[in-house]
Amino acid sequence: MGDTSPIPLTFRLVSGVALVILLTPVLIVVLSGLNSGEYLTFPPQGLSLKWVAGFFTSPIFLPAFLFSFGLATVTTIISTILGTMAAIFLTRSRSRAREVLRGLFILPVVLPGVVLGLALYVFFAWTKLGLAGSFPGLLIGHVLVTMPFVIATVTASLVDFDLSVEDAARSLGATPLQAFTKVTLPIIQPGISAGTIFAFIVSFGQFELTLFLATPDMQPLPIAMYTSLRYAFEPTAAAAGIFAICLVTISTLVTSRLVNLKKLLRRR
Amino acid sequence: MSDIRLDQLTHSYGETRAVDNVSLSIAEGEFYSLLGPSGCGKSTTLRMIAGFVTPTSGRILIGGGDVTRLPPERRDIGIVFQNYAIFPHMSVAENIAFGLRLRKVPRAEIDTAVEGALAQVGLSGFGDRYQRNLSGGQQQRVALARVLVTKPRILLLDEPLSALDKALREEMKFWIKDLQQTLGITTIYVTHDQDEALTMSDRIGVMRAGRIEQSGTPREIYEEPASLFVTTFIGQSNVLDATYAGAEGPRAAAMVEGRALSAELSHALPRGSAAKLVIRPENVLMGPEAADRNLTQLPATVIGESYQGAMVRYRLRLGSQELVAERQNQAHLARWRPGETVTVGWDPGRARLLPAD
Repeated sequence: MGDTSPIPLTFRLVSGVALVILLTPVLIVVLSGLNSGEYLTFPPQGLSLKWVAGFFTSPIFLPAFLFSFGLATVTTIISTILGTMAAIFLTRSRSRAREVLRGLFILPVVLPGVVLGLALYVFFAWTKLGLAGSFPGLLIGHVLVTMPFVIATVTASLVDFDLSVEDAARSLGATPLQAFTKVTLPIIQPGISAGTIFAFIVSFGQFELTLFLATPDMQPLPIAMYTSLRYAFEPTAAAAGIFAICLVTISTLVTSRLVNLKKLLRRR
Repeated sequence: MSDIRLDQLTHSYGETRAVDNVSLSIAEGEFYSLLGPSGCGKSTTLRMIAGFVTPTSGRILIGGGDVTRLPPERRDIGIVFQNYAIFPHMSVAENIAFGLRLRKVPRAEIDTAVEGALAQVGLSGFGDRYQRNLSGGQQQRVALARVLVTKPRILLLDEPLSALDKALREEMKFWIKDLQQTLGITTIYVTHDQDEALTMSDRIGVMRAGRIEQSGTPREIYEEPASLFVTTFIGQSNVLDATYAGAEGPRAAAMVEGRALSAELSHALPRGSAAKLVIRPENVLMGPEAADRNLTQLPATVIGESYQGAMVRYRLRLGSQELVAERQNQAHLARWRPGETVTVGWDPGRARLLPAD
């Protein structure tokens, strides 16, 4: 009885291969960023931290990293609030518009980013509200593509939500707002947290849409890396990539830890 | 503690009337059950009283005050749900303290009240537990404690026992009734289980298709059913095709299988109209027991016998109709085999003539 795992060997082999395929590029980026040579090559000519240090002094990458971080933070806050509200509507409304709205909310992730980016750019230019090439315009685009993730995760936690818990709170003396903040919100919080992390990661790495909406003086990290790689093949871009990977990994770990703890507390 | 009055309460979902013109008075301290099959409107009635559903028309008065338009949080009503609705993110003590915190009761007072409530429901020392560590019966007690600690004017119970296993259900039935009597709190109990309604209630309202078909004490509901629905929904009844042949003293004469039988009549019927003669299986006597001249007597053939331990159940043929008799399984009582003929009889005061549905 050597093999006691309930998962068949074939499945484990396939997932092992998939993991290698997914992680290899990440490893290549990290190693390239630690290259001691002058150009972005693989395998690296030697290991050094000079490009990592270069990232901090770079007039392009550090501001781009901070801009992306800020953009992702603001996007996440707006997406989480709007997405949670939308999810509550979609799970509780008996309106016939519900299915149509559900489709519309999900549309931004189904449409190719290029199509959405072009459409938004044309729309912003046409409305003449000054949204084209502005921070609010970019923010609107990012909220559109990140909100579906919040809607999906919050909806999942609302589907098995027992409405009589809210009724119980009301009957015990809670106003609708108190019932929501003291009872509903803490119970669906794991779903909201998961949506938050998705929104942050998607916004931070968003490329196609950003390409249409960003301006030269407002460059998020993915655009900055792309631009820099087109003209100079230097490893600073890969070093910036290391920081992006670290940021995403840390935020995922922290959030999943929080979410899992909550899940554990909730389940028996 | 207060009395409850429902005045022509109606709730419509589109075309269908879930609750149809229900008027009801429940006295202070009374244990009133709304009994009926699923979809009869009993839960909607309860949810209207609690304030979760707005009536289409009609009024709800508690302690004389009109609460029809008040939101649930201002009605001062305690409700316990079928699934208990314990807040999963709070400990038992926090659950119980919830209502008091909203009322801005001082911390020390809350702690004392929570301890008292836990003791009252027999869960002292359970304050730090969470819902996931509680059995169904314990959750039930927490839900009651959470409600009672706020000293509500009335208590609403929505099928509180249906999620429990049979043994626990029996135990909780008496426990809840005792608690209700100790507190003297006006209680409305919604159930589809006739046993619960019969054993716990002071009065029962049998609901069907949004209306209260009959409202009365458990004895009245069981022994003096006002309709065919009530008599078949509560316990078992033999329903025989009959024709109303006119009054016969205080009783009615009914033609059943060509014989004139007398029965209690609770509804005025036109002479000659089709009706149903209703008799409970435990009231159908057989053989020597049916020998009394004052009884209604009929010849019947045994077509089936089933042994049920304390009871023996006979299927009998009476002309073209069938009848079920339930006799106690005791040594001095005779037993019959299928195929034998036997005289069956009953006290005419136990038979009722009801309008055909």
